[in-house]
Amino acid sequence: MSQLKKRYTLTEQQKMMVFILSMSLFGMATMVSELLPELKVGIVEFKVEYFLFIPLSLAILFHPLHAAVGAALGRIIFGEIMLGKFEALGEIESFLALVLSLYVAGIIVRDPSNRFMVGLASILAVIIDQFISMGVDIGKVWIGVEELETIPGLYESVVAVEGFAFLNDVIVSGTLFAMIPTMYLVPKLYGKIEPLLGMKPKTKDLQIPFSDIITPRFMVGAVIVAVVAFLAEALSESDFAPSFEWAYAAENEFLFTIISLIVAALVSILIIWRVMSKRENAETAR
Amino acid sequence: MKIEVLNAAYGNTDTPIARLDARTIFVWYLFYALFPWLTHSWIVLAGMFLMLTATIYLARVSYLLLFLFIMGIIGQGGMVLAVSLFFGGNFETIMPILMFETKLAIISLAGLIAFSTMEPEKLSDGLLKIGVPGQVSFSISYGYRMLPTLIEEYNHVFMSFRLRGKAPEKHGLFYWRSAVYFMKLIVKSFYPLMLSSAKRARTTVESLESRGSLVSFNNKEVKKVKLAHMKFTYKDILFAIFNILYVLMLFMLAIALN
Repeated sequence: MSQLKKRYTLTEQQKMMVFILSMSLFGMATMVSELLPELKVGIVEFKVEYFLFIPLSLAILFHPLHAAVGAALGRIIFGEIMLGKFEALGEIESFLALVLSLYVAGIIVRDPSNRFMVGLASILAVIIDQFISMGVDIGKVWIGVEELETIPGLYESVVAVEGFAFLNDVIVSGTLFAMIPTMYLVPKLYGKIEPLLGMKPKTKDLQIPFSDIITPRFMVGAVIVAVVAFLAEALSESDFAPSFEWAYAAENEFLFTIISLIVAALVSILIIWRVMSKRENAETAR
Repeated sequence: MKIEVLNAAYGNTDTPIARLDARTIFVWYLFYALFPWLTHSWIVLAGMFLMLTATIYLARVSYLLLFLFIMGIIGQGGMVLAVSLFFGGNFETIMPILMFETKLAIISLAGLIAFSTMEPEKLSDGLLKIGVPGQVSFSISYGYRMLPTLIEEYNHVFMSFRLRGKAPEKHGLFYWRSAVYFMKLIVKSFYPLMLSSAKRARTTVESLESRGSLVSFNNKEVKKVKLAHMKFTYKDILFAIFNILYVLMLFMLAIALN
C-alpha cells in the first residue's frame, strides 16, 4: 500500500509565525549562552557555544527553512547587534552555515517521534555548522598571512587550534546542549506546540522537497559568492595594493609634497566640520 | 552586567559618527572590513589602525566592549603564538602573526565603531534602504521590543524551577554536581518558554496581519514614505573626502618609504 506523499505547505502567516518564534527564542538563548561563564583548563575550553537544541527542535517540528532562517537571524540580532559586536561581513558565513545545518537536520527527520533519528540529525547539524566555521577560520589565516609555507609551525598550529576547538564544540555543545535536550524536547513538544500556531503536526507522509530551497536564484548566488571569494584570494596573493604604477614613476620629493598637501586638506576639513557643526548647534539653540 | 548589556544595546546618539547617514557608515565599514585582506603593507595597516583609534574616541564606544575586544585579540593571538612555538616555530613567526592579528583587529574595530554606536532604528532603516527584506528590519525592532520581556519570563521560569526543585546537597569535586544541576535547569526552563513564545508569535502575526504589515514589508511605496527622512548632508561629504584623502595619503607614504 503506497501512500501519495503530500508536500508540506504553510500559509504566509504560518511561515511568519515559525520565523518569529524561532528568532525570538534562539536569540534569547544566544544571549543567555553569551553570559554563561566558561571554564578554561589549559587550552581545553569547556564553553557552551550555543543552545542549538532550540532551533533544532523547531526545525524538526515545523518547516525547516523558516525555522532555520529565523534562528540564524535571531542569533545575529540578539547575540551580535544588541551586544554591540555585529560584524556585517563576518556574520555571513556563520549565518549560512547555521541555516544549512538546521535545514539538513529538519529534512532528515521525517517522523519527530523517532528519537534515534532526532538525535542523529542534531549531532549532524552541529558537525556541519562547526566544520564550516572551522574551514573558514583556517582559510582566513591562509589568505591573511603571506608566504605561509616559509614560516615553520604556523600552519600546523592554526590547524591544531582550530581542529581542537571543533572537536571540543562537537563534543561539549554538540552532545550536551544539542543532542540530549533535543531528544528530550522534540517528543514532548510534538503535537503540543503546533496547535498553538494553528497548524497540524508534521507526519511521516508529508514531504519537503529539496527544490524548495535550491532554486535557480540560490544557485546563481552561490556561484557569485564562490567567484568573489576566489578573486579576493587571488588579489591578496598578487600583493595588489598599493602598487599603482603611476606612483612608481613619481619622484619621492613630489610624493612628499602631495602628502603634505593632503595633510593640509585633512586639517582644513576638520576645521570646516567644527565651524559648521558649531553654527548648526547655535541655530538649533536659538 | 544586565544593565551594561542593555546600555550597549541602546547606543548613543550625539557623537559626530552617529550623526552621519547610515549608508555612509555602511560604505566606510565595507572598505575597512575588506581592504585589510588585500594588503601586506605595515604602513597602510598601521595608518588604518591609527585612524580607527581616533574614530573610537569620537564615537565613544562603550568601555566594556572595548575591554572584551582587547582581551579577545590578545587571547587569540597569544594562543596561536604559543602553539606555533610548540610546533617548532621561532621568533620569526611573531611578525606574520602580529600582522594577521592587526588585520583582524582593524576589521572588528571598524565593526564596533560602525554598529555598536548606531541606534537600532537607524540600522534597520539603513538596511531597508540598501535592499534587505523588510522582515529583517521588522525582526530588529521586534527583538529590541521583546528582549526585556523574554529575559524577564525566562528568569521567572528559572527561579520557579529552583524554588520547586531540590539543589544537590554536596557540591562535589569542583562543584560539578551544582554545575550539572544548573545546566539541567537552564535547558529545562526553555520548555515552558517555547510554548508561551509560540502563543506570543501567533498574537504578533495576527496583529501584523490586521494592519496589513505582511504586505507592506516589501512594498515600494511604503518604503519610500518610511525612508524619506534619510538624506546625505555636508557631514557625510566631509567625512567621505576626509577618509578618501587619508587612505590615499597612506598609499603614498607606503610607496615613498619603501
